[in-house]
Amino acid sequence: MEEAKRAKFPVSKGAALVVAMLASGLSQAGWYDSGKVLATGGVSMIDGAGGGGITPWATITGYGTKEGINGDLHYTYAPLANYTLHSLGAAVGFWDRFELSYTSSALTTGSTFDTVGLVADTLGGVTGSLAGTPINTGIEPFNTTIEMESIGAKVRVFGEAIYDSDNLIPQIAIGGFYKNNKNEDLLKTLKADKAKDWEAYISATKIFFPINTLINITARYTAANQTGLVGFGGPDGSDKEIRPEISLAYLLRKDTVIGIEWAQHGDNLEGESVEIAGLDLTGLQPTLEALGLGNVSGTLTQHESDWYDVFVAFFPNKNLSITMAYAMLGNITITPDQHGFYMSLQASF
Amino acid sequence: MKQIFRTIAMIFVLCLAASPSFSQTGKTETYPPIDSDALEQFGGPEGVRNWVESLFYYIMLDNRINHVFREFGNIERQIYLNTQLLQLVLGGNEVEYQGASMAAAHADLGITLTQFNAVVEAAYNACERIQLTYEACNLMIAGLAPYKHAIVTR
Ligand code: HEM
Repeated sequence: MEEAKRAKFPVSKGAALVVAMLASGLSQAGWYDSGKVLATGGVSMIDGAGGGGITPWATITGYGTKEGINGDLHYTYAPLANYTLHSLGAAVGFWDRFELSYTSSALTTGSTFDTVGLVADTLGGVTGSLAGTPINTGIEPFNTTIEMESIGAKVRVFGEAIYDSDNLIPQIAIGGFYKNNKNEDLLKTLKADKAKDWEAYISATKIFFPINTLINITARYTAANQTGLVGFGGPDGSDKEIRPEISLAYLLRKDTVIGIEWAQHGDNLEGESVEIAGLDLTGLQPTLEALGLGNVSGTLTQHESDWYDVFVAFFPNKNLSITMAYAMLGNITITPDQHGFYMSLQASF
Repeated sequence: MKQIFRTIAMIFVLCLAASPSFSQTGKTETYPPIDSDALEQFGGPEGVRNWVESLFYYIMLDNRINHVFREFGNIERQIYLNTQLLQLVLGGNEVEYQGASMAAAHADLGITLTQFNAVVEAAYNACERIQLTYEACNLMIAGLAPYKHAIVTR
């Protein structure tokens, strides 16, 4: 007993000492840092990486300098004409060098695919055994939702976006996303080739203080349809291609930035109809005509447009940024004119 | 005679090597260039002096950095020298910088990027304090930013 007591004491004391050393070591090593100048951490783009609104920049997210780690939580809300995007995620920047992000997006589609659903139901009802199995279009009777997870990583390679005003070398970062779209059935209906895929990008960012302007140019290597919300690739496969993206930002005040963005999108599903139970709707034209739905396949043609936005980002302090934008996303699947308000909040720690 | 000649040559070479380290020779070359009327936008030498004074007011209020200046600095001297330096950087040519090079002045201080950024935040506050436009303030930022390499040593 006596011995056990004696033995136990140093152990717990030792453990306490280790914990104390660890705690003080961590705080002394200064793993936490929020030393960037206000607004220079940027905001969170919809895939979750540090950047603008739709484009990842070469900046590392959060307010950490090379002396520490800093992270953010972000939420984006974009109610468009036929869709509403909610995306929620977190990102951490390590030593202003490396960034990891996770974002979960939900795109509610309202009544967008009701016609397709109706056609499927009608076809299913009439032909019964259209493909021998029940038709699964991924379309719910009410408010079909597309969910997508996006995991991102970014490394700052070289260059200095902010302080090297005496040269033209931008800050360069390379990064990538792995995206997992969960509504595989709907993607099949929309003829996307894949539901999961990766994309890679290289970004160059530079601030030009004499003209109060930030320029970012990104090249993204991807096969995404609508950033992956409509899957990847199309009937011709999912070969990736390089697509440019540009952000131009004007520094209005030390806490307010306005700007415009453009991101080129692909044409994997351009002009494609939708597919029901493995059959293209255009191929079903005679059946549809017999059902009195003759002009449906015409209106069910998909298109994809480049994305544009005009934004204002406000940084009341280093813990919060509020970005509001007007997003012009053009054609999304079978619906045109998807323009509307966009808001993104970022809380940094 | 030979000895003297050698000494003169050596002094000459030393001066050449050292010259960038004690003369800040003029306007910072930035891309795109700093406006030609930058010093006027700043309110001339008087405006620069006002800005530097309020800069040190904000520096000394910032607990992240004021201890460095309290311990190693000489505020009077730094206000005096920074007033000269900023005029030059903005393109003023009627002034001479009489202080040490940025590298020499900061070499032993072990300044971090976080501390440097704190001075930049104080610089923006000082601009607001003297009612300077944000655009004029950014000309100063553009002009001083390249010194980061010499000043931040950690
Ligand atoms: C672009 C930014 C900066 C500029 C333009 C600048 C400019 C100057 C100048 C002109 C001097 C006087 C040199 C002399 O006495 O001959 C000086 C000295 C000094 N600076 Fe800075 N400085 C900057 C950033 C910093 C930072 C970030 C710190 C620390 C947080 C700092 C701390 C000091 C100290 C302590 C001295 C006095 C050194 C001594 O007298 O031995 N400076 N600086």
